[in-house]
Amino acid sequence: MLKKKYASVLVAAAVASLVIGAGAPSSQAANKNVSQTVRLYISADTNIQDLWVKSLIPAFKAANPGYDVNVTFDLHGDHDAQETAKITAASVLHKDSGVDLIDGGFTTQLGLAGLLWHPTPGLVPNLRDIGKSVLAAGKGGIPYRASSVLLAYNSTNVKTPPKTLDDLLAWIKANPGKFTYNVPSGGGSGYAFVQTVVDKYLSAKDRTTLAQSINKPLQSKWATGLETLRSLNVYTYGKNGSYPANNAETLKDLSTGLVDMASVWSDQFASAQKAGTMPANIKVTQISGPAFTGGAAYLGIPSSSQNRAAARLLANWVLSPTAQNLIVSGILNGMPVIPVSKLDATVAATLADIDVSDLRPTYLSANANDLKSAWASAVPGK
Amino acid sequence: MTADKTVVVTEGLEAKSASRLSVLGFFMALPPMLLVICFVGAPILIAFTFSLGWTEGPNRVVSIIGQEIHKKDHWWGTFSAYQDVFHDSRFPGDLRTTLLVTTISTTMVLVMALGIGIYQRMIGGRLASIMTTLTLVPLFVPVVIASWAIHTFYAGDGFMRTIFSHFGIEFPTLTSTSTAIAIGTIWTSLPFAILMVTSGLQSVPDALIETAQDAGAGFFRIIRTVLIPLALTPIVIAGTFTAIGIMGSFTIPLFLGPNQPTMLGVEISNFFGAYNRPQQSIVMAFVVFTAASGIALVYIWANVRSAKQSGRI
Repeated sequence: MLKKKYASVLVAAAVASLVIGAGAPSSQAANKNVSQTVRLYISADTNIQDLWVKSLIPAFKAANPGYDVNVTFDLHGDHDAQETAKITAASVLHKDSGVDLIDGGFTTQLGLAGLLWHPTPGLVPNLRDIGKSVLAAGKGGIPYRASSVLLAYNSTNVKTPPKTLDDLLAWIKANPGKFTYNVPSGGGSGYAFVQTVVDKYLSAKDRTTLAQSINKPLQSKWATGLETLRSLNVYTYGKNGSYPANNAETLKDLSTGLVDMASVWSDQFASAQKAGTMPANIKVTQISGPAFTGGAAYLGIPSSSQNRAAARLLANWVLSPTAQNLIVSGILNGMPVIPVSKLDATVAATLADIDVSDLRPTYLSANANDLKSAWASAVPGK
Repeated sequence: MTADKTVVVTEGLEAKSASRLSVLGFFMALPPMLLVICFVGAPILIAFTFSLGWTEGPNRVVSIIGQEIHKKDHWWGTFSAYQDVFHDSRFPGDLRTTLLVTTISTTMVLVMALGIGIYQRMIGGRLASIMTTLTLVPLFVPVVIASWAIHTFYAGDGFMRTIFSHFGIEFPTLTSTSTAIAIGTIWTSLPFAILMVTSGLQSVPDALIETAQDAGAGFFRIIRTVLIPLALTPIVIAGTFTAIGIMGSFTIPLFLGPNQPTMLGVEISNFFGAYNRPQQSIVMAFVVFTAASGIALVYIWANVRSAKQSGRI
């Protein structure tokens, strides 16, 4: 009886080893194709994860048979600091960082530190369709989609929304407690409002400088704008100089009717309305003088990437009209980085009311970090 | 004669096993010691050298990425990063908020824990047991969920304001205030303190309380002169653990507190992430570390006191 048991165990082990043995050659075969697998690191919200996993990657694989994309997803960029350190360390030590393509806010930071491979139109042909200033701001990052911050307002309570920043500031003071924007370090929509108010007192040349290079002396010109923001403390929601923590909380305050007006991301707003979490009476508009910032999201190919060719192929494909159509019309409701005229006519029509070609750029990440810090020193609770 | 022999043999065996035991004990204590040295001690030391401007070696990568990095200008380093932090207009407010919330919340937690503990010890009964059990519930609620629950409870469109507005009363919006941080930290710290304090009070022998009663001591006198002194060690330990936990809290001040001034846990994260100033964030971490060490001294004092009382040292 006991012997029989042993025998069956032995048979099972033999079968298992056969199965493992049979598995081995196929995994070796996969290793041979390693150069055709792009290791993509996404640090973003779930809408960006869906964009890649559900629409871009399947279409890329269909268009480029034999290629594959391995996704590592980091929700809200919680591990940006660790990942940045890992990629930096890998570059310094000339080792593989395990990442071939990055989609995340820290791309430009890597670019500034000189850790990105600098793309050229020779190797990434579709770069020719992209505006020079957008490309320059990436510091080696490849712009692949854009979104803009817009002014959302409750159309039931606000019949004529402000058209300019001055109008908006006047409206905020005339309607205490009815406007809010989130902490700039917590989300880009609040950051855009802060930068826009600060930019109001800067010349066009100064704005461009701050968008393209680190410039400490110029940062002193933020003082007037920060003072304007501080003076709004008693007029914004709560009336005590406290602000929502992030983009999502701003959207929640709008949808629950706590505020009548707030700055929001175009794509997050559109997605929320499609999902039904944002009531239909909340509408969006853009202001001018200056407009809210918007900007590109950048892909980065780390100079330590061991699979640069495949990463370039994917990056180039993402800039093609096919992929840009998916970004605009699909899950994300994003904006293209290539001229609207290259998109499908039906897709282009949905972008009619927003001027894509004229996005006002955000500051370079190092300046933006300093602005977030300066805001925290000068505005909340003062 | 034979009896003498037996005694000698036994003593020899005991001596041998004692030395064996001490070697075994050493190796049993080794893994946690090594773990602490490698994964806590060494990183703290490396971070400390970084805060002094040592930007080479293990600190090289972080100093390539970070902004406002100060490199050492003396053989021992530089205090520039410390000056940055101490001259930052946010720092005094943050430190004050951190210390104030820690003090107030810890005091409240101890008072409440003592209240429940004394009630159970002196009066007891089914109701006291049910109450003690109920107070342990927060122990099983994750802090993130608790924070959001408290947030929705006290927010502008929250439960409290909704209820009160039905009676025409304007209840204040408590979110984004230090009060909300205090409510949150008390809520989450209470169960552990109650566990410690009630078990400490339970271990006071009935005989002592009855003797005091027989000698004519009143309710409050028994509490003051018998219960609290005898349970002082667990009370102090509960207090120190609560204080250190609150001082380093992050989730609750992030969700419930004001943007500025905030608690240092949140500010450290802001400096490290959003403002990309790792050196300054480490300096703040050392400030918290120093303050927590002060509390840890009280903890050690309490342990030494209890060891002395039980005759271990």
